[in-house]
Amino acid sequence: MLGPVSITFPGDAGFAALTTYARSDSAVSSEALAAKSAAERLMASNEGSQVLFGDQSTVISQLWTLAQDCSQPDWDGAGASAIDMAAIYNAENVIRALPANIPMPELAPEPDGAVSLDWIQSRHRIFSISVSASPRLAYAWLDGSDRGHGVAWFDGNSVPERIIEGIRGIFHHGNITLRPSLRCR
Amino acid sequence: MATLPSGLPCVVDDEESLARFLVHRDQFSASIPKPSAFLPNRNDRETSVFRHGREPLEQLWAIGSAAASGRNIYGAAIIKAHAVRATGLTIDADEPPPRHAAIRNWSWNDADSILQKAQQKEKALVLASQSELVLC
Repeated sequence: MLGPVSITFPGDAGFAALTTYARSDSAVSSEALAAKSAAERLMASNEGSQVLFGDQSTVISQLWTLAQDCSQPDWDGAGASAIDMAAIYNAENVIRALPANIPMPELAPEPDGAVSLDWIQSRHRIFSISVSASPRLAYAWLDGSDRGHGVAWFDGNSVPERIIEGIRGIFHHGNITLRPSLRCR
Repeated sequence: MATLPSGLPCVVDDEESLARFLVHRDQFSASIPKPSAFLPNRNDRETSVFRHGREPLEQLWAIGSAAASGRNIYGAAIIKAHAVRATGLTIDADEPPPRHAAIRNWSWNDADSILQKAQQKEKALVLASQSELVLC
């Protein structure tokens, strides 16, 4: 019976070696096949993290651009409030607290100075959170003919589970890992 | 039938199209306007729209440019009046400026502004889903 296979590859050179190992066709023994399989899983995990963290950085960068764009009152020409910097910090914390298998949101300014985080799967499947200076998050969803709203407390570290479940529901349960971020313009 | 200075009827018909102009690039997604584009201004508690459909485009953008007071217009969300009314919101003609109307009757809860936002957002999601996105 096979025991656990441990693979340690330090630094970039190790990652390159891991890549080569995972993609090689030379494994013949059962131990070698197990090691190759483990390397492939590590590669997939690493690539997933790169995609997700890359998306997170991009969205946070977009958040700060939005803050700058809407930093003055009346940014919409209709009397909107300037984006509240406390809302920006809260929104950044929410984005950072999203589990890795949740797609990154699109962003939008709101006329009262809050920031909207939107997950738009299609025109009839949308989940949206309003992040203000308050630790309470206003959210609403549209899922075909089903819709609703709610308020949940954000502790700054973990996004409330009912919000996470709501977002997952919009993208169909269990089929969102490595889904690319929806593009923000 | 009573008419306004623009020549439009005083009452907005269910089949009329309404244009909500988009003045920020984050107010729309790849295919639809984002819900926040429809949220009401908290000063007057209403969402400003214009009684105009997609065509003619030149006239749509001319109205938008005048309404935006020199700001850049990225596009418009076009929605039928009956779709707005189906959410429980109301539409009132509100000239001047010509063709202007206001979406009113948004939930307002001075005791809990976060719950109020959640209620408004639910309706804004419906409006976004029922809208056609027209980009400049």
